Amino acid sequence: MANKKILIVEDDPDVRQGLSLRLRANGYDIFFAGDVVASLIEARKHQPDLIILDLGLPAGDGFLVIERLKAVEALAAIPIIVVSARAGVANQERALAAGVKAFLQKPVDNGELLAVIQNALGAPAQPKEPAQLSQPNRRRVLL
Amino acid sequence: MKENALQVLLVEDNAGDARLLREMFSKEKPDSFELTHLLRMSEAAVHLAKGGVDIVLLDMGLPDGHGLDTVRRARAAAPKVPMIVLTGLDDEALAAEAMKEGAQDYLIKGQIENRALPRALRHAIERHRMQTETDLILTHQMQFKDEFLSHVSHELRSPMTAIYQFVTILLDKLAGEINPEQHEYLEIVLRNVKQLQSMINDLVEVTRVQEGKLTVDLQCTSVSDAISYTVGTLQGAAKGKGVALSLESSPALPLTYADPTRIRQILIILVDNAIKFTPENGSVKVQARMLNEDPRFMVVEISDSGCGISPDMTERIFERLYQVPENGQAGRKGLGLGLYICKELVTRQAGRIWVTSSPQGSIFSFTLPVFSLAHAISPLLKNREWPSDSVALVTVEVSSPDGLLSKETREEWSREVRNLLERCVIPDLDVLLPKMGPGGRGELFQIVAFAHEKGVAVLTKRIREQFQRLNHLKESGLTCSTSYKLLEPAQPKADVPIEDLANEMAARIENLIKSERSGRTVSHG
Repeated sequence: MANKKILIVEDDPDVRQGLSLRLRANGYDIFFAGDVVASLIEARKHQPDLIILDLGLPAGDGFLVIERLKAVEALAAIPIIVVSARAGVANQERALAAGVKAFLQKPVDNGELLAVIQNALGAPAQPKEPAQLSQPNRRRVLL
Repeated sequence: MKENALQVLLVEDNAGDARLLREMFSKEKPDSFELTHLLRMSEAAVHLAKGGVDIVLLDMGLPDGHGLDTVRRARAAAPKVPMIVLTGLDDEALAAEAMKEGAQDYLIKGQIENRALPRALRHAIERHRMQTETDLILTHQMQFKDEFLSHVSHELRSPMTAIYQFVTILLDKLAGEINPEQHEYLEIVLRNVKQLQSMINDLVEVTRVQEGKLTVDLQCTSVSDAISYTVGTLQGAAKGKGVALSLESSPALPLTYADPTRIRQILIILVDNAIKFTPENGSVKVQARMLNEDPRFMVVEISDSGCGISPDMTERIFERLYQVPENGQAGRKGLGLGLYICKELVTRQAGRIWVTSSPQGSIFSFTLPVFSLAHAISPLLKNREWPSDSVALVTVEVSSPDGLLSKETREEWSREVRNLLERCVIPDLDVLLPKMGPGGRGELFQIVAFAHEKGVAVLTKRIREQFQRLNHLKESGLTCSTSYKLLEPAQPKADVPIEDLANEMAARIENLIKSERSGRTVSHG
């Protein structure tokens, strides 16, 4: 079975690299975009199985990305997970109402992120190697 | 009205005192003061409301007001006008109280020297102006600080994320083997990252408190579960410090009416603190029991064998940003926000929190209300010819086809459905019961309805119709099903107190709920 493809939309290069190392180690193929326009181009090009989206992006924000993706028939069904430093019920409700699958706050626990990705994809991924976690999941208090 | 003259309002019912004061003013330059003299507080309030008064000279012994009450009324009528109170010789203590209520100064009748009066007035006005200015600056500063905190804590999250990611990447050997020493050092980095993370979370939380955005989601909650969870989570930290962390469980505690996430949050802060302030080989115990003095509450106690807190500090430690000074403990203290957050959270769940302490250790205690079905349904029993009425337990189950939804999404739609149901029930006829622990594939919502089969049919129809309108829930594949069970009518009893009726009815409804739930657990496997 081919690896699932994940598009990471994130403007911080360090966070992007960290995320992709973690996700590649868990058997996902990773693509990047750093802004609104690039995210739409990359989404069309690679038809990812899932999109991880930051809300704070240069020239527009994550909400704009969600809106544009949902407007394109071929892309509308791709599950989106928001991973953002922005918190607050208002952002969360807005994102969920716009159709994202989950809203996680930075920094996200590795175990939690992988579990949410698996849920959103609807099937467990095939890890290349047993990727253990350095810490048991300490549940974050979500606000 | 003379220009530039200071408008003085004298409120004084004693003619002699008033004349003396008038004379004092008459010795001043004619255009420097303009005196209005009134006899009653009621007249003064009307005059003050019109505006134009620069300062009030207020007698505290007016016939239509009593001491401090007079001061309060004057303040209420004109909060921005400075005030000097006039008292008798034996009333100096009362005058001091008046200053706490907002008077700028006091003058003792019979002891006012000629030249002192205008000076006292000018000083009072100046003091008042400075105080107003300081208050304004303070308000702005607090506002700025809260905005700043909120901004900073969000900005800190991205670099924190990168550090967390790469440390765990190294620790999990995703970038190759590391030796035991390197592993140990990285663990230290990770531990500190987590500490920073929790400080940032505390900052955000406090900002929420200030903005009034702290939310609690009250439902039927097991405190024992929250304690087990907390002890499990912090066992590692306790072992690392050589502290024995244990839980002493009381048998069969009832459920509380509280927010499970918030209870865990409170416990994590309190137990984490207890571990922090307990020396090596010490112990920390967590216990829950019924509150002896009031069976409507449960109390959770976290006791440690630490150095204790001095008696004069036991109130202050719950204040914002308060830290125990020089406690002789090595290491970092944190931000001093944890206990403040705990107090806010406990208070919002109708409990209270306190600490008792001795040199042998401290006990932090907080209470939570016990959930009582009898209490929940008792409003319905008033003015009702129960038990001739029919009672039904209506169960609404909303489920997703795959059951694979993130916790957040689930909480979100669960909240929406609850709002919807609240709109469907009739306040004096039905009670929407609070959430009773996690459901299976979906969420169960239960309503106690005072209705016959026809009434139940109307209610369930209304619920299903409303649900059909929530398009985005339907589109995510959620389905809504309803069922009901009728409670068998009991034998009528005369002169039974309403509490007993409620208890009896609650017990029967509880049985119904239990049978309903166990039935579902089996059918869902």
